[in-house]
Amino acid sequence: MTDWQTQAEGRWSGKRVQRLEDPGMLTGATRYVTDVQMPRMLELAFVRSHAPNARIVSIDLDPARAVAGVRAVLGPADVVDIQPTVDILHLDGALKTPRFTLPGDRVRYVGEPVAAVLADDRYTAEDGADAVVVELEPLDDAKPIHDDIPNDRYFHQAASHGDVDAAFGRAHHVVRRRLHVQRVITSPLETCGIVADYDAATGELTCYLSTQQPHLARAALAEAVGLPVSHVRVICPAMGGGFGGKEVMLPEYLCAAVAAIRLRRPVRWVEDRSEALTAGAHGKEAEAELEAAFGEDGRILAMRSRFVSDTGAYSSGIGAYVEFMVGAFTVPGLYDLGGYAYDTGGVVTHKAPLSPFRGVGMTTSQTLREVLLDDAARSLGIDRMELRRRNMVADGAWRTVLGEEYEPGSWRTAFERALELIDYEGFLARQAAAREQGARPPRLLGIGVSPFVEAAGIGSAGGAGGLPGGSHDNATVAIDLSGRITVALPTFSHGQGHRTTAAQLVADMFGVAPDDVRVIDGDTARTPFGMGTFGSRSGVFIAGTVNRAGRLVRDKLLRVGEILLEAAHEDLELVDGAVGVRGVPSRRIPLAAVAGAAHFAPHVRAELGDPTLTATAFFDPPRPTHSNGTVAATVEVDPDTGGVAIERIVVVEDCGTMVNPMIVDGQIRGGVAQGVGLSLLERYVYDESGQPQTTTLAEYLLPRATDVPPVEIEHIETPSENGTGGIKGMAEGPASATPAALVCAVFDAIAPHGSAIEELPLRPETIAAALT
Amino acid sequence: MTAISLTVNGAAHELDVPPRMLLSDLLRDELGLTGTKIGCAMGACGACTVLVDDEPVRSCLMFAVQAHRRSVRTVEDLASPDGDLHPLQTALREHHGLQCGYCTPGMLMTITPLLESGQPLEPDAVREAIAGNLCRCTGYETIVDAVVEASRR
Repeated sequence: MTDWQTQAEGRWSGKRVQRLEDPGMLTGATRYVTDVQMPRMLELAFVRSHAPNARIVSIDLDPARAVAGVRAVLGPADVVDIQPTVDILHLDGALKTPRFTLPGDRVRYVGEPVAAVLADDRYTAEDGADAVVVELEPLDDAKPIHDDIPNDRYFHQAASHGDVDAAFGRAHHVVRRRLHVQRVITSPLETCGIVADYDAATGELTCYLSTQQPHLARAALAEAVGLPVSHVRVICPAMGGGFGGKEVMLPEYLCAAVAAIRLRRPVRWVEDRSEALTAGAHGKEAEAELEAAFGEDGRILAMRSRFVSDTGAYSSGIGAYVEFMVGAFTVPGLYDLGGYAYDTGGVVTHKAPLSPFRGVGMTTSQTLREVLLDDAARSLGIDRMELRRRNMVADGAWRTVLGEEYEPGSWRTAFERALELIDYEGFLARQAAAREQGARPPRLLGIGVSPFVEAAGIGSAGGAGGLPGGSHDNATVAIDLSGRITVALPTFSHGQGHRTTAAQLVADMFGVAPDDVRVIDGDTARTPFGMGTFGSRSGVFIAGTVNRAGRLVRDKLLRVGEILLEAAHEDLELVDGAVGVRGVPSRRIPLAAVAGAAHFAPHVRAELGDPTLTATAFFDPPRPTHSNGTVAATVEVDPDTGGVAIERIVVVEDCGTMVNPMIVDGQIRGGVAQGVGLSLLERYVYDESGQPQTTTLAEYLLPRATDVPPVEIEHIETPSENGTGGIKGMAEGPASATPAALVCAVFDAIAPHGSAIEELPLRPETIAAALT
Repeated sequence: MTAISLTVNGAAHELDVPPRMLLSDLLRDELGLTGTKIGCAMGACGACTVLVDDEPVRSCLMFAVQAHRRSVRTVEDLASPDGDLHPLQTALREHHGLQCGYCTPGMLMTITPLLESGQPLEPDAVREAIAGNLCRCTGYETIVDAVVEASRR
């Protein structure tokens, strides 16, 4: 089933093909949602709660209606018909947190929308929003955030694999670590946005939407506003980043959709940065603990973990489940654990709702585990890398203590190669010399190494430990009368270059150039159903679906070739935009002529029966792919200020067969940059009363060009057994493994002088305080 | 409304604008030049950078009326009219210096004056120069590489 035929020749696949997406983006021609303009379009602005926990006493909308240019105002009573949204996971014992589009009774976090104002332009809409008078009465914090969830904990799960208690009982040494991973903001440069347009004649609602999941967003919109799915179309013209934060159906979108239907006018809402920071796609925040039982030889006998995700006021979309479930399930990583027990769950709080963010769960588990291993090595008196060697599984397939089946990977090879590239032994010598010199102030050098495995491309069978949220896709491949190939994908690229990758694969299947392949995504009316882009799934699903659909169309082209060229199927090939007799360039028929014959030559059509040169195929991988690698980092800490200077970052990555190594490298570099932000810079802060303190990009620190070092990358290619064409999903591994490398490096640097830090990010003041 | 006249990408415009309208909104909503992006609307991300009298300016921090009698250049003006990319655009493409593309117009307009000075640029100088332009996708390295190479062409 993984036959690519002409791709084996690798004319385009495996090459650093320049992206088809780039010319439009570089010239400013590419349109994003915020660039969509329509006649008579209204702009939407929201009135938001300024209190974290309050009863809504009254909302006076009339002052907004009096503002010149304001065309309509929506309050809670105007949107009661919209169905409340709930998270989409179905787990035993999970309590739901229904979210009303504009809640009329109470507000649960600062920034929650309470009213919407529509005007001719955004300036006027904001004037109107400012004029709305909302009276709030603070509520007692003892009151449950949701009445049906008395202790604010909406989900909890615990399980044990192997005899964990016995292992801890006979342990030579037990090591514990606590880690608070901070709340961060996904922060794509393009914020969320929608342009909603309703056609009263057809009853169709068209939403231009910045979403990673066009088809799922379509279904969610239809359900919430009460339209058949057939009457909702979602279009994403282009998307300026997502990183997991554009997977949730927002109340703001539902307001825009309902307003467009009611007012019979297009409605645009574009989230501004302050809204994105206050009430947008927050991510990650978790409290986590890990303890490990070691034998005298440094072998890990068992581990126990505890995860609690601070979910914010609502569990929405796939919500925090992917944080605390993936976190718990990925603790074993690349290590051979005799036993493992976890206790995981989520609580609701008076903060903005948590959204998935690149490296979900994995970032927390990876950082916690690798920091604990370093602690253990120090207390056991074993070199930190040697301790990992004693516990890391051998290259090849592996079944984890949780029963997850890893396909073969280069676990140890990647780890050892990263140590070579970062010159681990040489660094230790340099570090020892710096420590011995007794310099005042001392030079604090540190090294951290973070080997990772990343499961991706998870089919409907689910992932590790039974995590729900598996998926499947379709793709369509078609040849038109000009002989050009069109591919329609339900995934949606927001920087990953899917159009280029898909065009490379199809070009090799059909013997054409990538420029001859038109790839369509981001439009539910022109693409078959699929789950969208998240969890590093798109490479795996694009390859799987396109290969299957492409072969159906290719077989038909070859069948036409058999008829026209009077040659046997096995003697034919697709080359240079034609069907031809293998090795005989004079006997070739261009694809346009083949397509023309299929449709218009009666004898060809009669033999084919069905001349349609279009196929849609389904793909549901039975098992996930597993890419792997190792991130290694060296740092120097300033003993006076606590500032961290990153010396080097090395990434050895194995994502199987690469379709476009340039794009893979781009995902690695971008992931590392986000890891730098999480480790050292980014944190979203609420004060004790629940008021956000980091509401602009002056307070919320994203990594800048001067913060991110060059990344030294090397590849290993262990072809996937589970993914089509040897491809393994990637893009989150380096992002989730970089914080562990940097945090371990900083802790190594300050180990002789500092005390334990249990919170991210490692800000200069945190480090300086630990050094005193 | 206030009457202003300005030149945008070589074309003269006479417009009546509200005094509080930002230059970024004038360019995008009134003139249809949506290549200029808005990332934060408070001058922190650099996505809206355009050239005003050849100097990089955050168009989200400047009122349209302040562009009266001035010359504005946007990303739409970089490629030649027949579609050939500017050398900087070509270098960014070759080095994979863009992913989602949203910060790209602001990056281009921040870097263009540096390149047009004709001096070869060193990586550290490029990093400093673009430190006010946020990119969430690339990790910056490939942008730096592209600019350094373009400066040496």
